[in-house]
Amino acid sequence: MEKLRKLLSIFLTFFKIGAFTFGSGWSVLAQLEREYIVKRGEISKETLLEIMTVGKSVPGIMITNISMLMGMELAGPAGGIAAVVGLTLPAVIILSGVTYFYDFIRDNYWFSAAMKGVSAAVIAIVASTALSLGREAFREKLAIVICSIAFLLGLFTGISNILMIAAGVVIALVWIGVEKAGEKK
Amino acid sequence: MILIELFISFMKIGFTSFGGMSMIPLILEEMQAHGWMTAGDLTNLIAIAEMTPGSLGVNCATFAGTQTAGILGGIFAVAGVLMPAFTLTLAVGVFFARFRKSSAVTHILRIIKPICIAMILNVIITLGRDTFFPGAGIDFFAIAISAAAFVMLRHFKLGIPTVIFTGAALGLLCYGIL
Repeated sequence: MEKLRKLLSIFLTFFKIGAFTFGSGWSVLAQLEREYIVKRGEISKETLLEIMTVGKSVPGIMITNISMLMGMELAGPAGGIAAVVGLTLPAVIILSGVTYFYDFIRDNYWFSAAMKGVSAAVIAIVASTALSLGREAFREKLAIVICSIAFLLGLFTGISNILMIAAGVVIALVWIGVEKAGEKK
Repeated sequence: MILIELFISFMKIGFTSFGGMSMIPLILEEMQAHGWMTAGDLTNLIAIAEMTPGSLGVNCATFAGTQTAGILGGIFAVAGVLMPAFTLTLAVGVFFARFRKSSAVTHILRIIKPICIAMILNVIITLGRDTFFPGAGIDFFAIAISAAAFVMLRHFKLGIPTVIFTGAALGLLCYGIL
């Protein structure tokens, strides 16, 4: 019973934050930090930092990975699931509504004029993100080389993105294996 | 069956992406392969996702799933995109201490991150071709709006919602009135 109440509290807290936080995962993270560290003190600052590092390195959506780990920290695997479902549900409800609305007005003259402008702005937003990511990653020469190869492969061979990521993981694992073998000698 | 296809498609996207904008190239590829969404739908969706609560991945899954197969389609697509959290992250959470010491993840990310950037650059080319050079012509309005948005973001450090609203206003002016 106590456990059930705890799970419900996690679900509701994440649901509330999921429903009212706009923008990227980072603004959600700021809300979670305020709720569980500043207000309730249920998770320590160090633990959250560790959770963030891990959440960013696991594939998938960063903020749902972080929510999973926070929920697990609070109440085990069931807590993790309650947190992820709570955080995701508002977005699913809102976007389902938006999707029906979008189909309804997408051919409207004024709406499609506005959206043409928005599309142009979105390209700038994506480009700006790529620039910020590149600035951070390209301090390493290796990163520039890998990025150039992947860019040219994508541009000229039509190799699928999923295959490229999978190849990257395999290369990394081989590299680790070679390093380990080197250490043993 | 379409529901299973949606689930598998978004599970693939989930397991091969590392957050935020790096999902866009993967989503575009899967959507076009199945004919579920056009590049134009995707740019609209990125704007919608930035203006509504929820992450890009969940919002894209809901949008694509709902458009393809109704509310049930949305639920299956979202379940797919959440699979990494429910499996990998759960496992990592259980073995938390051991995972932190492993250098494997650092190595993998050192290689994956530049690949993600390359994928994003390629998607910018795809989206740019559709938006700036529709058909055979050149859309100077789109180029100008995009340049203005870029300056607003990089030079004036304005927020994404502000930039999207400005884009919409300029779109109304350029394509609606002029």
